[in-house]
Amino acid sequence: MAGGRRAILITGGTSGIGLALVRRLAPRHDLLVAGRRAPDDAAAVLPQGVRYVHAPLTTPEEAVRTVAEAVLKAGWVRLDNAILNAGVGFAVPGGIETAGQIRATLDVNLTASVMLARTLHPWLARAGGTLTLVGSVARRGQGLFPAYAASKAGLHGLARALRSEWRDTVAVQVIHPGPTRTGMHAKAGHDPGRLGAVFLPAGPVAAMIEGAIAARRSPVTVSHGRFVAGGALWSRRL
Amino acid sequence: MTRALVTGASAGLGRAIAERLAAEGHDVTGVDRDHPGAEAPFAHIACDLADRDSVDALAARLIEDGPFDQTVLNAGISATGPFEAIPAKAHARVMAVNAEAPMVLCAALARAGALSRGGRVVFVSSLSHFTGYPGAASYAAAKDALAVYARSIRKPFARTLGVTVSAAFPGPLRTDHAARHAPAGADAEKRMAPDVAARLILAEAARGRAVIVPGARARWMALAGRIAPAAVTGAMRRIVYDKLDRAVW
Ligand SMILES: NC(=O)c1ccc[n+]([C@@H]2O[C@H](COP(=O)([O-])OP(=O)(O)OC[C@H]3O[C@@H](n4cnc5c(N)ncnc54)[C@H](OP(=O)(O)O)[C@@H]3O)[C@@H](O)[C@H]2O)c1
Repeated sequence: MAGGRRAILITGGTSGIGLALVRRLAPRHDLLVAGRRAPDDAAAVLPQGVRYVHAPLTTPEEAVRTVAEAVLKAGWVRLDNAILNAGVGFAVPGGIETAGQIRATLDVNLTASVMLARTLHPWLARAGGTLTLVGSVARRGQGLFPAYAASKAGLHGLARALRSEWRDTVAVQVIHPGPTRTGMHAKAGHDPGRLGAVFLPAGPVAAMIEGAIAARRSPVTVSHGRFVAGGALWSRRL
Repeated sequence: MTRALVTGASAGLGRAIAERLAAEGHDVTGVDRDHPGAEAPFAHIACDLADRDSVDALAARLIEDGPFDQTVLNAGISATGPFEAIPAKAHARVMAVNAEAPMVLCAALARAGALSRGGRVVFVSSLSHFTGYPGAASYAAAKDALAVYARSIRKPFARTLGVTVSAAFPGPLRTDHAARHAPAGADAEKRMAPDVAARLILAEAARGRAVIVPGARARWMALAGRIAPAAVTGAMRRIVYDKLDRAVW
Protein backbone atom coordinates (compact mmCIF):
# COMPACT_ATOMS: atom_id res chain seq x y z
CA MET A 1 0.00 0.00 0.00
CA ALA A 2 2.97 2.29 0.60
CA GLY A 3 4.11 4.29 -2.39
CA GLY A 4 0.87 5.47 -3.97
CA ARG A 5 -0.33 8.99 -3.39
CA ARG A 6 -3.66 8.84 -1.56
CA ALA A 7 -6.63 11.15 -1.28
CA ILE A 8 -7.34 11.41 2.44
CA LEU A 9 -10.07 13.19 4.39
CA ILE A 10 -9.46 13.86 8.10
CA THR A 11 -11.99 15.46 10.43
CA GLY A 12 -10.68 17.44 13.39
CA GLY A 13 -7.16 17.75 11.98
CA THR A 14 -6.44 21.09 13.60
CA SER A 15 -5.10 19.93 16.95
CA GLY A 16 -4.04 16.93 19.01
CA ILE A 17 -3.97 13.47 17.45
CA GLY A 18 -5.59 14.66 14.20
CA LEU A 19 -2.98 17.36 13.64
CA ALA A 20 -0.20 14.88 14.39
CA LEU A 21 -1.68 12.58 11.75
CA VAL A 22 -1.93 15.45 9.28
CA ARG A 23 1.73 16.31 9.83
CA ARG A 24 2.77 12.70 9.21
CA LEU A 25 0.67 12.24 6.09
CA ALA A 26 0.88 15.66 4.39
CA PRO A 27 4.33 15.19 2.78
CA ARG A 28 3.25 12.00 0.95
CA HIS A 29 -0.50 12.33 0.32
CA ASP A 30 -3.30 14.71 -0.71
CA LEU A 31 -5.13 15.85 2.40
CA LEU A 32 -8.46 17.50 3.02
CA VAL A 33 -9.05 18.54 6.63
CA ALA A 34 -12.54 19.32 7.92
CA GLY A 35 -12.78 21.32 11.13
CA ARG A 36 -14.72 23.78 13.22
CA ARG A 37 -12.24 26.65 13.00
CA ALA A 38 -12.47 29.59 10.65
CA PRO A 39 -10.21 28.99 7.60
CA ASP A 40 -7.59 31.56 8.69
CA ASP A 41 -7.21 29.96 12.12
CA ALA A 42 -6.88 26.55 10.53
CA ALA A 43 -4.31 27.76 8.00
CA ALA A 44 -2.17 28.98 10.89
CA VAL A 45 -1.60 25.41 12.14
CA LEU A 46 -1.92 23.22 9.01
CA PRO A 47 1.12 22.33 6.86
CA GLN A 48 1.42 23.98 3.43
CA GLY A 49 -0.64 22.38 0.68
CA VAL A 50 -3.26 20.81 2.94
CA ARG A 51 -6.81 21.65 1.85
CA TYR A 52 -9.24 22.81 4.53
CA VAL A 53 -13.02 23.02 4.80
CA HIS A 54 -14.91 24.75 7.60
CA ALA A 55 -17.60 22.26 8.64
CA PRO A 56 -18.58 22.33 12.33
CA LEU A 57 -19.97 18.90 13.15
CA THR A 58 -22.37 20.22 15.80
CA THR A 59 -24.77 20.59 12.86
CA PRO A 60 -24.16 17.22 11.20
CA GLU A 61 -26.53 17.51 8.26
CA GLU A 62 -25.11 20.81 7.08
CA ALA A 63 -21.53 19.75 7.81
CA VAL A 64 -21.83 16.56 5.80
CA ARG A 65 -23.16 18.51 2.82
CA THR A 66 -20.29 21.00 3.12
CA VAL A 67 -17.70 18.21 3.30
CA ALA A 68 -19.16 16.46 0.25
CA GLU A 69 -19.03 19.73 -1.70
CA ALA A 70 -15.40 20.23 -0.67
CA VAL A 71 -14.49 16.75 -1.90
CA LEU A 72 -16.11 17.54 -5.24
CA LYS A 73 -14.42 20.93 -5.41
CA ALA A 74 -11.06 19.28 -4.80
CA GLY A 75 -11.81 17.31 -7.98
CA TRP A 76 -11.62 14.00 -6.13
CA VAL A 77 -13.65 11.19 -7.66
CA ARG A 78 -12.34 8.65 -5.17
CA LEU A 79 -11.35 8.72 -1.55
CA ASP A 80 -8.68 6.31 -0.36
CA ASN A 81 -9.14 7.12 3.32
CA ALA A 82 -11.70 8.88 5.46
CA ILE A 83 -10.40 9.30 9.00
CA LEU A 84 -13.22 10.46 11.27
CA ASN A 85 -11.24 11.75 14.21
CA ALA A 86 -13.02 14.90 15.45
CA GLY A 87 -14.30 14.48 18.97
CA VAL A 88 -15.57 16.35 22.01
CA GLY A 89 -16.63 15.51 25.52
CA PHE A 90 -17.67 17.22 28.74
CA ALA A 91 -16.52 16.17 32.19
CA VAL A 92 -19.44 16.49 34.63
CA PRO A 93 -20.02 15.78 38.31
CA GLY A 94 -22.40 12.97 39.22
CA GLY A 95 -22.68 11.70 35.65
CA ILE A 96 -25.34 14.30 34.80
CA GLU A 97 -24.73 16.25 31.60
CA THR A 98 -26.94 19.04 30.26
CA ALA A 99 -29.11 18.36 27.21
CA GLY A 100 -26.82 20.63 25.21
CA GLN A 101 -23.72 18.69 26.23
CA ILE A 102 -25.29 15.34 25.37
CA ARG A 103 -26.48 16.60 21.99
CA ALA A 104 -23.14 18.20 21.06
CA THR A 105 -21.24 15.06 22.06
CA LEU A 106 -23.48 12.71 20.11
CA ASP A 107 -23.68 15.03 17.09
CA VAL A 108 -19.94 15.53 16.70
CA ASN A 109 -18.71 12.09 17.71
CA LEU A 110 -21.43 9.77 16.47
CA THR A 111 -24.23 11.19 14.32
CA ALA A 112 -21.85 13.15 12.08
CA SER A 113 -19.75 10.00 11.64
CA VAL A 114 -22.80 7.93 10.71
CA MET A 115 -23.90 10.54 8.18
CA LEU A 116 -20.38 11.00 6.77
CA ALA A 117 -20.00 7.24 6.37
CA ARG A 118 -23.28 7.12 4.45
CA THR A 119 -22.47 10.12 2.26
CA LEU A 120 -18.83 9.23 1.52
CA HIS A 121 -19.54 5.59 0.67
CA PRO A 122 -19.52 6.04 -3.15
CA TRP A 123 -16.13 7.81 -3.05
CA LEU A 124 -14.64 5.21 -0.73
CA ALA A 125 -16.06 2.32 -2.74
CA ARG A 126 -14.56 3.62 -6.00
CA ALA A 127 -11.12 3.59 -4.36
CA GLY A 128 -11.57 0.32 -2.47
CA GLY A 129 -10.74 2.63 0.41
CA THR A 130 -10.69 2.55 4.18
CA LEU A 131 -13.10 4.20 6.62
CA THR A 132 -11.44 4.80 9.98
CA LEU A 133 -13.44 5.74 13.06
CA VAL A 134 -11.44 7.09 16.00
CA GLY A 135 -13.05 5.70 19.14
CA SER A 136 -11.63 5.61 22.64
CA VAL A 137 -10.88 3.11 25.37
CA ALA A 138 -13.64 4.98 27.24
CA ARG A 139 -16.13 3.12 25.04
CA ARG A 140 -16.47 0.52 27.81
CA GLY A 141 -18.05 3.10 30.14
CA GLN A 142 -16.89 6.16 32.06
CA GLY A 143 -18.84 7.95 34.78
CA LEU A 144 -16.98 11.23 34.35
CA PHE A 145 -18.29 11.78 30.80
CA PRO A 146 -21.13 9.35 30.09
CA ALA A 147 -22.24 10.73 26.70
CA TYR A 148 -18.64 10.69 25.44
CA ALA A 149 -18.24 7.04 26.44
CA ALA A 150 -21.62 6.28 24.85
CA SER A 151 -20.67 7.98 21.59
CA LYS A 152 -17.47 5.95 21.36
CA ALA A 153 -19.36 2.71 22.03
CA GLY A 154 -21.67 3.76 19.21
CA LEU A 155 -18.69 4.09 16.86
CA HIS A 156 -17.57 0.61 17.89
CA GLY A 157 -20.97 -0.85 17.03
CA LEU A 158 -21.14 1.07 13.77
CA ALA A 159 -17.75 -0.27 12.70
CA ARG A 160 -18.64 -3.79 13.76
CA ALA A 161 -21.76 -3.84 11.57
CA LEU A 162 -20.41 -1.85 8.63
CA ARG A 163 -17.16 -3.77 8.39
CA SER A 164 -19.26 -6.85 7.78
CA GLU A 165 -21.71 -5.15 5.39
CA TRP A 166 -18.98 -3.51 3.29
CA ARG A 167 -16.39 -6.28 3.39
CA ASP A 168 -16.23 -6.48 -0.42
CA THR A 169 -16.03 -2.73 -1.06
CA VAL A 170 -14.65 -0.62 1.81
CA ALA A 171 -12.52 -1.62 4.81
CA VAL A 172 -14.17 -0.24 7.94
CA GLN A 173 -12.25 -0.03 11.19
CA VAL A 174 -12.49 1.48 14.64
CA ILE A 175 -9.33 2.47 16.49
CA HIS A 176 -9.49 3.11 20.22
CA PRO A 177 -6.71 5.35 21.56
CA GLY A 178 -5.85 5.28 25.22
CA PRO A 179 -5.20 8.44 27.28
CA THR A 180 -3.22 10.85 25.12
CA ARG A 181 -1.68 14.20 26.01
CA THR A 182 -3.70 16.62 23.89
CA GLY A 183 -5.84 19.67 24.54
CA MET A 184 -8.96 17.51 24.71
CA HIS A 185 -9.01 17.08 28.46
CA ALA A 186 -8.75 20.81 29.13
CA LYS A 187 -11.45 21.49 26.50
CA ALA A 188 -13.64 18.93 28.29
CA GLY A 189 -13.19 20.79 31.58
CA HIS A 190 -11.20 17.95 33.08
CA ASP A 191 -7.82 18.11 34.76
CA PRO A 192 -6.26 14.63 34.82
CA GLY A 193 -3.79 15.89 37.46
CA ARG A 194 -0.76 13.71 38.07
CA LEU A 195 -2.27 10.95 35.93
CA GLY A 196 -1.67 13.23 32.94
CA ALA A 197 2.05 12.50 33.25
CA VAL A 198 1.55 8.92 32.07
CA PHE A 199 -0.59 9.88 29.05
CA LEU A 200 1.11 9.10 25.74
CA PRO A 201 2.19 12.01 23.54
CA ALA A 202 0.10 12.64 20.40
CA GLY A 203 2.98 11.95 17.97
CA PRO A 204 3.54 8.27 18.82
CA VAL A 205 -0.22 7.69 19.10
CA ALA A 206 -0.65 9.11 15.58
CA ALA A 207 2.17 6.84 14.36
CA MET A 208 0.43 3.78 15.80
CA ILE A 209 -2.89 4.90 14.32
CA GLU A 210 -1.25 5.27 10.91
CA GLY A 211 0.07 1.73 11.26
CA ALA A 212 -3.37 0.41 12.15
CA ILE A 213 -4.90 2.24 9.17
CA ALA A 214 -2.34 0.72 6.82
CA ALA A 215 -3.09 -2.74 8.23
CA ARG A 216 -6.87 -2.19 7.85
CA ARG A 217 -7.61 -4.22 10.99
CA SER A 218 -10.47 -3.67 13.43
CA PRO A 219 -10.99 -3.13 16.29
CA VAL A 220 -7.56 -1.89 17.36
CA THR A 221 -6.57 -0.44 20.74
CA VAL A 222 -3.71 2.04 20.55
CA SER A 223 -2.37 2.54 24.04
CA HIS A 224 0.45 1.81 26.43
CA GLY A 225 0.69 -1.90 25.65
CA ARG A 226 1.30 -1.33 21.98
CA PHE A 227 3.58 1.63 22.74
CA VAL A 228 5.77 -0.34 25.13
CA ALA A 229 6.01 -3.10 22.51
CA GLY A 230 7.56 -0.54 20.15
CA GLY A 231 4.36 0.07 18.19
CA ALA A 232 5.23 3.70 17.52
CA LEU A 233 8.66 2.79 16.14
CA TRP A 234 7.78 -0.14 13.94
CA SER A 235 4.32 0.76 12.72
CA ARG A 236 3.68 0.58 8.99
CA ARG A 237 3.32 3.73 6.95
CA LEU A 238 0.30 4.48 4.85
CA MET B 1 -49.14 5.07 44.90
CA THR B 2 -45.80 5.01 43.12
CA ARG B 3 -45.21 6.58 39.74
CA ALA B 4 -43.79 4.91 36.67
CA LEU B 5 -42.74 6.29 33.31
CA VAL B 6 -42.48 4.23 30.12
CA THR B 7 -41.47 5.57 26.71
CA GLY B 8 -42.66 3.83 23.57
CA ALA B 9 -45.58 2.60 25.65
CA SER B 10 -48.27 2.30 23.00
CA ALA B 11 -47.08 -0.94 21.41
CA GLY B 12 -44.67 -3.85 21.64
CA LEU B 13 -42.37 -4.30 24.60
CA GLY B 14 -43.13 -0.84 26.03
CA ARG B 15 -46.84 -1.60 26.02
CA ALA B 16 -46.25 -4.88 27.84
CA ILE B 17 -44.07 -3.16 30.43
CA ALA B 18 -46.57 -0.32 30.96
CA GLU B 19 -49.47 -2.75 31.38
CA ARG B 20 -47.52 -4.89 33.81
CA LEU B 21 -46.50 -1.87 35.90
CA ALA B 22 -50.12 -0.67 35.91
CA ALA B 23 -51.30 -4.13 37.01
CA GLU B 24 -48.75 -4.01 39.84
CA GLY B 25 -50.47 -0.84 41.04
CA HIS B 26 -48.20 1.89 39.73
CA ASP B 27 -49.54 5.15 38.40
CA VAL B 28 -48.11 4.85 34.88
CA THR B 29 -47.40 7.57 32.34
CA GLY B 30 -46.83 6.28 28.82
CA VAL B 31 -45.07 8.38 26.19
CA ASP B 32 -45.49 7.58 22.53
CA ARG B 33 -46.08 9.15 19.14
CA ASP B 34 -49.21 7.01 18.73
CA HIS B 35 -52.19 6.89 21.08
CA PRO B 36 -52.40 3.61 23.05
CA GLY B 37 -56.18 3.40 22.65
CA ALA B 38 -58.89 4.14 25.20
CA GLU B 39 -58.56 0.71 26.85
CA ALA B 40 -54.94 1.33 27.93
CA PRO B 41 -54.60 1.22 31.74
CA PHE B 42 -52.19 4.16 31.80
CA ALA B 43 -52.02 7.89 31.00
CA HIS B 44 -50.68 8.96 27.63
CA ILE B 45 -48.44 11.85 26.58
CA ALA B 46 -47.94 12.28 22.85
CA CYS B 47 -44.37 13.09 21.82
CA ASP B 48 -42.16 12.69 18.77
CA LEU B 49 -38.85 11.76 20.38
CA ALA B 50 -36.96 12.64 17.20
CA ASP B 51 -37.78 16.31 17.72
CA ARG B 52 -35.58 18.21 20.18
CA ASP B 53 -38.09 20.87 21.14
CA SER B 54 -40.70 18.19 21.81
CA VAL B 55 -38.25 16.25 23.97
CA ASP B 56 -37.39 19.38 25.97
CA ALA B 57 -41.09 20.17 26.46
CA LEU B 58 -41.72 16.56 27.48
CA ALA B 59 -38.89 16.70 30.03
CA ALA B 60 -40.32 19.88 31.56
CA ARG B 61 -43.77 18.31 31.85
CA LEU B 62 -42.45 15.05 33.32
CA ILE B 63 -40.47 17.00 35.93
CA GLU B 64 -43.78 18.58 37.00
CA ASP B 65 -45.52 15.19 37.12
CA GLY B 66 -42.66 13.34 38.86
CA PRO B 67 -40.82 12.09 40.78
CA PHE B 68 -40.81 8.63 39.20
CA ASP B 69 -39.99 5.43 41.05
CA GLN B 70 -39.60 3.44 37.88
CA THR B 71 -38.45 4.87 34.58
CA VAL B 72 -38.25 2.60 31.56
CA LEU B 73 -36.67 4.28 28.54
CA ASN B 74 -37.77 1.83 25.91
CA ALA B 75 -38.78 3.78 22.79
CA GLY B 76 -36.84 2.88 19.70
CA ILE B 77 -37.05 2.88 15.92
CA SER B 78 -35.04 1.01 13.34
CA ALA B 79 -33.62 1.35 9.86
CA THR B 80 -32.85 -1.97 8.22
CA GLY B 81 -31.21 -2.71 4.91
CA PRO B 82 -27.83 -2.05 3.32
CA PHE B 83 -26.46 0.99 5.18
CA GLU B 84 -25.87 2.93 1.96
CA ALA B 85 -29.43 2.27 0.73
CA ILE B 86 -30.88 4.19 3.69
CA PRO B 87 -30.89 8.02 3.57
CA ALA B 88 -28.45 9.76 5.92
CA LYS B 89 -31.39 11.61 7.50
CA ALA B 90 -33.09 8.34 8.43
CA HIS B 91 -29.89 7.19 10.15
CA ALA B 92 -29.78 10.50 12.05
CA ARG B 93 -33.36 9.91 13.21
CA VAL B 94 -32.41 6.51 14.59
CA MET B 95 -29.63 8.19 16.59
CA ALA B 96 -32.02 10.85 17.88
CA VAL B 97 -34.77 8.50 19.04
CA ASN B 98 -32.71 5.53 20.22
CA ALA B 99 -29.74 7.25 21.85
CA GLU B 100 -30.17 10.99 22.27
CA ALA B 101 -33.75 11.19 23.57
CA PRO B 102 -33.41 8.61 26.37
CA MET B 103 -30.09 10.08 27.49
CA VAL B 104 -31.44 13.64 27.49
CA LEU B 105 -34.62 12.62 29.33
CA CYS B 106 -32.74 10.64 31.95
CA ALA B 107 -30.23 13.43 32.61
CA ALA B 108 -32.99 16.07 32.76
CA LEU B 109 -35.05 14.06 35.26
CA ALA B 110 -31.97 13.33 37.35
CA ARG B 111 -30.87 16.96 37.40
CA ALA B 112 -34.33 18.13 38.50
CA GLY B 113 -34.65 15.52 41.24
CA ALA B 114 -37.48 13.80 39.38
CA LEU B 115 -36.05 10.31 39.92
CA SER B 116 -37.10 9.05 43.37
CA ARG B 117 -34.38 7.95 45.75
CA GLY B 118 -34.53 4.16 45.95
CA GLY B 119 -36.09 4.01 42.49
CA ARG B 120 -34.77 2.62 39.24
CA VAL B 121 -34.11 3.46 35.63
CA VAL B 122 -34.05 0.84 32.90
CA PHE B 123 -32.67 1.53 29.43
CA VAL B 124 -33.82 -0.85 26.73
CA SER B 125 -30.84 -1.55 24.48
CA SER B 126 -30.68 -4.62 22.24
CA LEU B 127 -29.05 -8.04 22.07
CA SER B 128 -27.20 -6.56 19.07
CA HIS B 129 -24.89 -4.97 21.66
CA PHE B 130 -23.35 -8.41 22.07
CA THR B 131 -23.79 -9.85 18.58
CA GLY B 132 -23.30 -6.93 16.19
CA TYR B 133 -25.99 -6.24 13.61
CA PRO B 134 -25.06 -6.02 9.90
CA GLY B 135 -28.16 -4.74 8.14
CA ALA B 136 -29.00 -2.28 10.91
CA ALA B 137 -25.70 -0.51 11.46
CA SER B 138 -27.10 2.78 12.77
CA TYR B 139 -29.57 0.95 15.02
CA ALA B 140 -26.71 -1.12 16.43
CA ALA B 141 -24.60 2.00 16.95
CA ALA B 142 -27.39 3.78 18.80
CA LYS B 143 -28.19 0.78 21.01
CA ASP B 144 -24.49 0.35 21.85
CA ALA B 145 -24.33 4.02 22.80
CA LEU B 146 -27.36 3.60 25.06
CA ALA B 147 -25.94 0.48 26.72
CA VAL B 148 -22.69 2.22 27.57
CA TYR B 149 -24.49 5.37 28.73
CA ALA B 150 -26.36 3.17 31.23
CA ARG B 151 -23.15 1.49 32.33
CA SER B 152 -21.43 4.87 32.72
CA ILE B 153 -24.05 6.49 34.95
CA ARG B 154 -24.75 3.41 37.08
CA LYS B 155 -22.16 4.19 39.74
CA PRO B 156 -22.60 7.97 40.00
CA PHE B 157 -26.40 7.63 40.06
CA ALA B 158 -26.26 5.01 42.81
CA ARG B 159 -23.86 7.12 44.84
CA THR B 160 -25.38 10.57 44.51
CA LEU B 161 -29.06 9.90 43.76
CA GLY B 162 -29.69 6.47 45.27
CA VAL B 163 -31.10 5.37 41.91
CA THR B 164 -30.36 1.95 40.38
CA VAL B 165 -29.61 1.96 36.65
CA SER B 166 -29.98 -1.15 34.48
CA ALA B 167 -29.70 -1.91 30.79
CA ALA B 168 -31.86 -4.57 29.14
CA PHE B 169 -30.77 -6.43 26.03
CA PRO B 170 -33.77 -8.22 24.54
CA GLY B 171 -33.31 -10.45 21.50
CA PRO B 172 -35.92 -10.78 18.74
CA LEU B 173 -39.46 -10.10 20.05
CA ARG B 174 -42.84 -10.97 18.55
CA THR B 175 -43.84 -7.36 17.88
CA ASP B 176 -45.07 -5.40 14.86
CA HIS B 177 -41.79 -3.48 14.91
CA ALA B 178 -39.79 -6.71 14.54
CA ALA B 179 -42.08 -8.05 11.81
CA ARG B 180 -41.60 -4.88 9.79
CA HIS B 181 -37.81 -5.11 9.92
CA ALA B 182 -37.28 -8.88 9.87
CA PRO B 183 -35.62 -10.57 6.90
CA ALA B 184 -37.73 -12.60 4.47
CA GLY B 185 -38.84 -15.98 5.80
CA ALA B 186 -38.03 -15.20 9.44
CA ASP B 187 -39.95 -17.39 11.84
CA ALA B 188 -42.02 -15.29 14.26
CA GLU B 189 -42.54 -18.29 16.55
CA LYS B 190 -38.86 -18.24 17.52
CA ARG B 191 -39.20 -14.73 18.90
CA MET B 192 -40.00 -14.03 22.53
CA ALA B 193 -43.48 -12.77 23.41
CA PRO B 194 -43.29 -9.15 24.64
CA ASP B 195 -45.12 -9.85 27.92
CA VAL B 196 -42.59 -12.57 28.77
CA ALA B 197 -39.72 -10.19 28.09
CA ALA B 198 -41.45 -7.46 30.14
CA ARG B 199 -41.84 -9.78 33.13
CA LEU B 200 -38.20 -10.92 33.02
CA ILE B 201 -36.84 -7.39 32.56
CA LEU B 202 -38.86 -5.90 35.43
CA ALA B 203 -37.98 -8.77 37.75
CA GLU B 204 -34.26 -8.46 37.06
CA ALA B 205 -34.41 -4.66 37.39
CA ALA B 206 -36.06 -5.09 40.79
CA ARG B 207 -33.03 -7.17 41.81
CA GLY B 208 -30.79 -4.28 40.82
CA ARG B 209 -29.06 -6.08 37.97
CA ALA B 210 -26.81 -3.93 35.77
CA VAL B 211 -27.16 -6.18 32.72
CA ILE B 212 -30.46 -7.85 31.88
CA VAL B 213 -30.54 -10.36 29.02
CA PRO B 214 -34.04 -11.90 28.99
CA GLY B 215 -34.26 -15.59 28.13
CA ALA B 216 -31.84 -18.49 27.86
CA ARG B 217 -31.55 -18.23 24.10
CA ALA B 218 -30.60 -14.54 24.24
CA ARG B 219 -28.14 -15.18 27.08
CA TRP B 220 -26.47 -17.87 25.02
CA MET B 221 -26.16 -15.53 22.02
CA ALA B 222 -24.73 -12.78 24.25
CA LEU B 223 -22.13 -15.14 25.63
CA ALA B 224 -21.15 -16.36 22.16
CA GLY B 225 -20.89 -12.76 20.97
CA ARG B 226 -18.54 -11.89 23.78
CA ILE B 227 -16.31 -14.92 23.25
CA ALA B 228 -16.15 -14.77 19.45
CA PRO B 229 -17.30 -11.32 18.34
CA ALA B 230 -16.22 -11.57 14.70
CA ALA B 231 -17.68 -15.05 14.19
CA VAL B 232 -21.02 -14.10 15.70
CA THR B 233 -21.22 -10.90 13.62
CA GLY B 234 -20.48 -13.08 10.59
CA ALA B 235 -23.34 -15.38 11.57
CA MET B 236 -25.62 -12.35 12.01
CA ARG B 237 -24.65 -11.27 8.51
CA ARG B 238 -25.78 -14.61 7.10
CA ILE B 239 -28.95 -14.74 9.23
CA VAL B 240 -30.03 -11.14 8.71
CA TYR B 241 -28.10 -9.07 6.17
CA ASP B 242 -27.84 -11.65 3.38
CA LYS B 243 -31.58 -12.34 3.64
CA LEU B 244 -32.84 -8.76 3.67
CA ASP B 245 -34.89 -8.26 0.54
CA ARG B 246 -35.68 -4.59 1.13
CA ALA B 247 -34.61 -1.50 3.02
CA VAL B 248 -37.10 -0.21 5.62
CA TRP B 249 -36.85 2.96 7.66
N1 LIG C 1 -6.71 12.61 24.06
C1 LIG C 1 -7.12 11.46 24.52
O1 LIG C 1 -6.78 11.07 25.65
C2 LIG C 1 -8.00 10.58 23.69
C3 LIG C 1 -8.23 9.27 24.11
C4 LIG C 1 -9.05 8.45 23.36
C5 LIG C 1 -9.63 8.93 22.20
N2 LIG C 1 -9.42 10.21 21.80
C6 LIG C 1 -10.08 10.66 20.59
O2 LIG C 1 -9.15 11.07 19.63
C7 LIG C 1 -9.73 12.05 18.78
C8 LIG C 1 -8.83 13.25 18.74
O3 LIG C 1 -8.79 13.81 20.05
P1 LIG C 1 -7.59 14.70 20.58
O4 LIG C 1 -7.11 14.12 21.84
O5 LIG C 1 -6.64 14.94 19.48
O6 LIG C 1 -8.39 16.03 20.98
P2 LIG C 1 -8.27 17.51 20.44
O7 LIG C 1 -6.85 17.93 20.47
O8 LIG C 1 -9.25 18.29 21.18
O9 LIG C 1 -8.72 17.37 18.91
C9 LIG C 1 -10.06 17.18 18.56
C10 LIG C 1 -10.27 17.71 17.16
O10 LIG C 1 -11.66 17.72 16.86
C11 LIG C 1 -12.03 19.01 16.45
N3 LIG C 1 -13.42 19.31 16.76
C12 LIG C 1 -13.98 19.47 17.98
N4 LIG C 1 -15.27 19.79 17.87
C13 LIG C 1 -15.54 19.86 16.55
C14 LIG C 1 -16.69 20.18 15.79
N5 LIG C 1 -17.84 20.54 16.37
N6 LIG C 1 -16.61 20.15 14.44
C15 LIG C 1 -15.45 19.82 13.85
N7 LIG C 1 -14.33 19.52 14.50
C16 LIG C 1 -14.38 19.54 15.84
C17 LIG C 1 -11.08 19.92 17.20
O11 LIG C 1 -11.04 21.22 16.64
P3 LIG C 1 -10.14 22.38 17.37
O12 LIG C 1 -8.72 22.15 16.92
O13 LIG C 1 -10.70 23.65 16.83
O14 LIG C 1 -10.32 22.23 18.85
C18 LIG C 1 -9.80 19.16 17.03
O15 LIG C 1 -9.24 19.34 15.76
C19 LIG C 1 -11.10 12.35 19.37
O16 LIG C 1 -12.08 11.62 18.67
C20 LIG C 1 -10.98 11.84 20.77
O17 LIG C 1 -12.24 11.51 21.28
C21 LIG C 1 -8.60 11.04 22.52
